[in-house]
Amino acid sequence: MRGWFPIVLLVCGAAVVFALPELLNAYWLRIATGVLMWAGLACSWNIIGGYAGYIDFGHSVFFGIGAYASAILMGDAFGWPFAATIPVGLLAAGGVAAVIGGPTLRLRGAYFAIATWAFAETLLQLATVLEITGGTAGLSLPPFLNERFFYFAMLTAAAATYALTWLLFERSRFGLKVKALRDHEPAAEAMGINTAAVKLQAFALSAATAAVFGSIYAYWVTFINPRSTLGGDITDQMVVMVLLGGLGSLWGPALGAAALFIVNRIFWMYWGDTTFYIAILGLAIIVVVLFLPNGLAGLFARKTQNGSQNAGRALWRALTRPGVER
Amino acid sequence: MDLLLQTLLNGILIGGIIASFSIGFQLTFGVLHVIDFAVGAWVVLGGYLAYWMSTLLGVGGFVSLPVAFVVFGAIGYLIGPVIYRVRNSRYARPELMALALTFGLFTLLRGGALTLWGFNTRSVPTALSGESLMIGSVTVPLLRVVAFAFACAVAAALFLILYRTRYGLAIRATAENRHNAGLMGVDVQRLSANVYGLYAAVTGMAGVLMAAIYSVNPEIGLRYTLFAFFVAVLAGLGSVGGAILAALLFGIMESVVATYVGSSYSHLAIFATLYLVLLVSPRGILQRGL
Repeated sequence: MRGWFPIVLLVCGAAVVFALPELLNAYWLRIATGVLMWAGLACSWNIIGGYAGYIDFGHSVFFGIGAYASAILMGDAFGWPFAATIPVGLLAAGGVAAVIGGPTLRLRGAYFAIATWAFAETLLQLATVLEITGGTAGLSLPPFLNERFFYFAMLTAAAATYALTWLLFERSRFGLKVKALRDHEPAAEAMGINTAAVKLQAFALSAATAAVFGSIYAYWVTFINPRSTLGGDITDQMVVMVLLGGLGSLWGPALGAAALFIVNRIFWMYWGDTTFYIAILGLAIIVVVLFLPNGLAGLFARKTQNGSQNAGRALWRALTRPGVER
Repeated sequence: MDLLLQTLLNGILIGGIIASFSIGFQLTFGVLHVIDFAVGAWVVLGGYLAYWMSTLLGVGGFVSLPVAFVVFGAIGYLIGPVIYRVRNSRYARPELMALALTFGLFTLLRGGALTLWGFNTRSVPTALSGESLMIGSVTVPLLRVVAFAFACAVAAALFLILYRTRYGLAIRATAENRHNAGLMGVDVQRLSANVYGLYAAVTGMAGVLMAAIYSVNPEIGLRYTLFAFFVAVLAGLGSVGGAILAALLFGIMESVVATYVGSSYSHLAIFATLYLVLLVSPRGILQRGL
């Protein structure tokens, strides 16, 4: 019975996901596309932040590199087809991560967070003064108005990201190595794990996946500028989505992304601005940190330390005894 | 030459104010072991408190200073124990959870300020706004001088508390080793709340002055957080004495780059320096951080 359950769930999920473009109108289809994008981005942040335990406050860099790679190469100067720009962005982001990862990943905890943030803001400022990125005015891409294409593009990218994460982090030795260095780096090193190399691989993987979504996003919205692709808001959302969903869990980031992005759009729909949404984001982080350190996914975990299996009971326990769960 | 003098003076005056809240930031890190993302939000809210005082009650910026001290001191005193609790919880990674908490606090306060006051820039009038002294050919804005004097007074007061009182000894002991300080009879949790309250109060007051000198809008908070981080990294996290030097250095650097290279490059220079300093010497250029 239990062995069949995930397969049934997967088939049903796939059916719903493929039927969605037929069922939704253009507006909701865009929202569904957005949910897929954020689910993928959250998963990519989760690789470095959740599995490796390095809180990256500058992950928007890699999203932005993907977006700018597509925008520049598809522009008049090069005129490449869209599909050819994705690998370029992916490799560029992975390469940048591999280069800066060496020195940056030596820093730990809050130092790493500040360093990545500083690096992201450096690139953001650079993008506003350089000519090739179009400065503050940004770049336009050739418009391609086919919502279905972007839905399936995001779907493919997100599915690939989750499949890759599942394979590498839940079903391989590599994942065990990464988790070992997260839990105790000196001990992992003493076990013979080359922690520097493993960290760097995880960081580059996390960067490369984020870049793919950047490329698709740029083509989707057809106009990008430094703020919209490299800005701190992009990173903030990734971080909050993963925290809400559950750091270091496979499906948690998707849950968090869906919940927050839909809330964001609802605010936008009814009040026409999203300033209050920022406050909600902050509140969500505080609530998660105080009451749900394992995120939404933690509520559904098969076995908590106390042996409770019921999500409702786990929630009650978390709310009444903050800070106790490990 | 005059331009250079003017630039240096501006840099030092601004660096002084940044020093006033950087000292508190360092003290908080020393005692709580938490990097407070919310520092910029306290600066911004201090500015808005002064703005409200001036529009609703019609009083100038200087009257808001003691009010800011009381209000933010109280808020900080209430929030301090929460941060302490998360930092010392049984979570798998309390350090990162505490970082996430202050980040959440910052986001909440920024979103709240945006909702309440919108994106518009507000200014705070004071008795000295627009007044300035001429020394030779260098213009000295009086407001900035007063703000600098205030910052010096705050720094002096903090140093007196830290190095000349028994309570300051307890703070320094806690910063050095929390566990041992607790064994010596220091109530670490209460001390943490007090230090966070003191720091929030001083930062709120600095915010009043910053709003009077420049102006205030909710999005500017991130910049002040950056300033505090920059100073903290340059000085070495937790080093109180280094913070003053680093803040002055920062003020001069920002003002020189803005004048001679262009203001759009000053952020680029700050962030690039911050990143490089972290890579080359994470304990700060004075090698005195934790």
